[in-house]
Amino acid sequence: MRPDAKVADGEIVRAVLAGDRERYAQLVERYRDRYARYAARMLGSADAAEDAVQDAFVRAYDQLAQCKEPDKFVGWFFLILRNRCFAERRRDRTSTSLKAAEGVAAEDRTDGGAETAERRRALQLALLELTPDQREVFVLKHVEELSYGEIAERLSTSVASLKMRMHRAYDKLREQLRDHT
Amino acid sequence: MSGHDFHPLVKQLLDGDITLADLPAELRAEGEDALRLLAAVDRTDVSVPAVTWRVMAALERRRRPVLPWLLAPALALAAALILWILPAKPATPAALVTVRFVLVAPEAREVSLAGTFNQWDAHATPLVRTGPTGVWTATLTLPAGQHQYAFVVDGVRWVPDPGAPAVDDGFGRRNSVLTL
Repeated sequence: MRPDAKVADGEIVRAVLAGDRERYAQLVERYRDRYARYAARMLGSADAAEDAVQDAFVRAYDQLAQCKEPDKFVGWFFLILRNRCFAERRRDRTSTSLKAAEGVAAEDRTDGGAETAERRRALQLALLELTPDQREVFVLKHVEELSYGEIAERLSTSVASLKMRMHRAYDKLREQLRDHT
Repeated sequence: MSGHDFHPLVKQLLDGDITLADLPAELRAEGEDALRLLAAVDRTDVSVPAVTWRVMAALERRRRPVLPWLLAPALALAAALILWILPAKPATPAALVTVRFVLVAPEAREVSLAGTFNQWDAHATPLVRTGPTGVWTATLTLPAGQHQYAFVVDGVRWVPDPGAPAVDDGFGRRNSVLTL
């Protein structure tokens, strides 16, 4: 358990807003890796994910006074990171590459051997062929393991809409991966 | 629905609403195929320990504008920063200002600057690696006014300055803004 595990996000946010700026590092420490995972799957690159998470935390700090519910900081931060990732994908869509997918999958070659790594790499490449909306719902449900209800709340949308996106994503992934399954 | 689409019941399986045993026998193989797809999902954390100090360095620099004689400690922390070194004369529209651009990028093989001051040419203004820690610098003399720019790492990655304000360029890219 981290030393700060019992400190609520809201308490830290309020302390930062009151002038204790250094405590912002606690929030960064708490969420950086988890949301780097989301960003890496969205962007297809661990390096791009690191830049995106850093930018999002700096931007969140700048806008911290606008965080209406400090106890829900992480949901609010997620939307900032999400916007950053979507903008990055629009800008950088031509650079989607095998190398990028390898950059995400290469770090975990030890837990499943070459076949697992190859399947993961193939899935990561296939994810990059989805629309950002489809990729996001897949990542949130199957990487972040959120329920449809949780995703709907986070993205302010309906479960039915999410399921429609997801089901289209399943079909596209099957098409992309038909030689790998 | 194309020939490659999953059966709606298989999609329910992928959603976790039903189990493989709930599928009719003729859909079991398709269900197993679908579950193999999910088995390839990579949930490994992506470790980005440097983000904490990079964020805090960016906030520190913003809080206290850096004066030239205070640069050494700031350099140790900053992920990327810009130094105003030698204003040639008071900032009038015609004035020139010497500016040093700094980016810490230990893994980069090459870094350059692209911006309004060089027609966004990603090769026109290379930064020089100044030491073993991955600090890249370039010093330019620019007209007073507002400039937009980004770092270009290894010729392909456009990286905005995380410590500088940024604007959308209208095409989904964020450009850093430097006002002299």
